[in-house]
Amino acid sequence: MPRFYNLPEMPFFFHLITVIAIALPAQLGYTFVFGRGKILHFGPIGVSTVAAYGTFLTLNATGSFLLGLCAGVLMALAFSLLFAWLSFRLDSDGLGIMSIAVYLALFAVVLNWTSLTRGALGLPRIPRVPFADSAMSFALLTTGACVLWTLFFLWLDRTKLARQVSALAEGEWHAKALGISRAGAHIAAFVILGLTLASDNFFYAQYYHLLHPSDYYFPAFVSLLMITVAGKPGSTPGAIIATILLSLLKEGLRFLPFPSAVLGPLRLMLFGIILLAAVWIQRDTLFPKKRTI
Amino acid sequence: MQLIVNGLIAGSLAALMAGGLALVYGVLGIFNLALGQLALIGGYGTWWLHASGIPLFPSLIGGMAIGAIFTWLTFEIAVAPFYRRDARIPLVTTIAWSMILDAAILLTLEERPRSILPGGKHFLPFDAVRISVEQIVLIGCTLIFVCVVAWVLHSTPFGRKIRATVQHPDAARSLGISSSLLHRIVFIVSGVLAACGGIYIGIDQNLTPTLAFPVTIKAYAALIAGGKDNFWGTILAAYIIAMLEQLAVGTPWWFGNYVSAGYQSIVALLFIIVVLLIKPTGLFSHRARAA
Repeated sequence: MPRFYNLPEMPFFFHLITVIAIALPAQLGYTFVFGRGKILHFGPIGVSTVAAYGTFLTLNATGSFLLGLCAGVLMALAFSLLFAWLSFRLDSDGLGIMSIAVYLALFAVVLNWTSLTRGALGLPRIPRVPFADSAMSFALLTTGACVLWTLFFLWLDRTKLARQVSALAEGEWHAKALGISRAGAHIAAFVILGLTLASDNFFYAQYYHLLHPSDYYFPAFVSLLMITVAGKPGSTPGAIIATILLSLLKEGLRFLPFPSAVLGPLRLMLFGIILLAAVWIQRDTLFPKKRTI
Repeated sequence: MQLIVNGLIAGSLAALMAGGLALVYGVLGIFNLALGQLALIGGYGTWWLHASGIPLFPSLIGGMAIGAIFTWLTFEIAVAPFYRRDARIPLVTTIAWSMILDAAILLTLEERPRSILPGGKHFLPFDAVRISVEQIVLIGCTLIFVCVVAWVLHSTPFGRKIRATVQHPDAARSLGISSSLLHRIVFIVSGVLAACGGIYIGIDQNLTPTLAFPVTIKAYAALIAGGKDNFWGTILAAYIIAMLEQLAVGTPWWFGNYVSAGYQSIVALLFIIVVLLIKPTGLFSHRARAA
C-alpha cells in the first residue's frame, strides 16, 4: 500500500472529497436552473427532503438500494414537476415565495408524520451500499458519480436546451417568438435539478448513516444559492470552483474554538455576508438587462 | 365561535405583516424576505426594554423605533443598491440579510422563548369563547393600524404622492416628488407594521428566533392569494387563510378525529394552490387594462 494511505490526515481528506462530491451535482443542477435560467426556484431543499425520505423509507421497508433509489427519483421528479407547474402559474418573484412555502409545507409533513418519518428524530442506522463501506471506497463512489454528473453538465452547457433556457431568461417573449417552448425547457430544467437532488440525497444520508431533518433546514438552501451566485450565475466551471472553495471553508469552520451554539450562528452570518457580497459583485450579471441593438 | 375568535387573532397578525408587504410590493415592486426577522427585532426590542424596567407603553414605542431603524438599515444594505437594477435581486439579498439578522438574534438572545408580558393574560369571563383583554386590544390595534395606513394612502397628499409614484415614477419625479425618499418611507412603514406584528407575537405568544420565516411566508401567502396589487384584498386573504387554518385543525374531520396542529401551515399552501388554479393573479386582483 502506498505510504500516503497511512497518514493520519487521510480520513479527513476523504471526508472533504466525499462532501464536495456529494454536494456538487445538485449545485450544478441549481446553477442550471437559477444561474442560467434565472428561475427563482427557492424550494430545492423541499425536493431533497422528499427524495431522501422516499429513498430511505423504501430502503428500510424493502432492503433494496435499487428500489430505494427509484422511489427517491420518482419523488424528486413528482415534486420537481409540481414546482415547474407553479413556475408557469406565477410570475418570477411569486414563484420564489411560493417555492419556499411548498418547501415549508413538505418539511412540516416530514416533521409531523412521526409514525412514518420518526419526525425530529430522523432515520438512524442508514446502511451504505455494500461495495462502498469504507471511507475511501465511499469517496471513490461519490467522486465517480460526481464526475459523471459534471461531464453531463459540461455537455449540457453546449446543447440546444441550455441555449433555450438562457434565451428564455434573457427575453421570454422574444424566445417564444422564435419558437422556444417555455414549458418544455423549464420542465427539462426542473427535472434535471430534481435528478441531481435525488442523486445527492441517495449518498448524503448513507455517508452519515443518518437521515435527519435538521440537514434540510433553510440554511441548506442558502448555501446552494450562495455558491451559485459566488461562482458566477450560470457558469458550470464557476460553480465547481465555488463549491470546492466554500465546502472547504464550511468544513474548516468546525476547527474554530467556539461552542456549537456560537459556531452555528457564526456560520449562518458568514454565509449571509458571503451571499450579500457575491450578489453585490455580480449585481450586473445576476439578472442581466435585455440586450439591445 | 372559538375557532372564529382564534382565526381573528391569527388573522390580525398575518394582516399586519401582509399589509406592509402589499404596500412595499405595490410601490417598489419588490419582496422583502427579511420581514419576519424585522418583526422579531421589533418584538425582542420591546421585550428587552420592558424587561429592563421601562413601562410597557414606552417599551412598545421603543420596539417600533428599533424595528424602524433596522428596516431602514435593511433598505440601505439589501434593497437600495439593487432594486433599480432588477426588482428580483432584493429577493436574494433579503434572504442573505435575513440570515445575518437570524444569526445576530441567535447570538445575542439565544433560542429561549421570551414573552413581553410574562405574567399571564387577563381572560374575559365568557362561557362560549376564551379571549383575553390583551388579544382584544391587539385585534383592535391591528384594525386601527391597517385603516390608518389605508387612509393615509387614499385620502392624504402624501398618499397621492405615493400613488403618483406607483402609476408613473418619471412623471412624479418631474413634478418634484422624490421617489427615493418615498420608497424609503414606505419601506420603513412596512417594517414598523412588521415590528408591530413581532410585538403582537411577544404579547400573545412567545418570541423565538425560529418564528421569522413561517410568519413571513404566511404573510406572503396572503399577498399572493389576495392579489399583489390590492391592499384590502391582501388583508382579507390574511384573515381567510387564518380562519381556514383554525378550521382545519379545530374541526373533527373523520370519525371525530382532528388534524394535527403541526399540519396547520399546510392549509395556507393548499389554499394558494386552489386560488392559483382558479385565478392565477389572486382572488382580489384588479383587471389589468390593455391598449
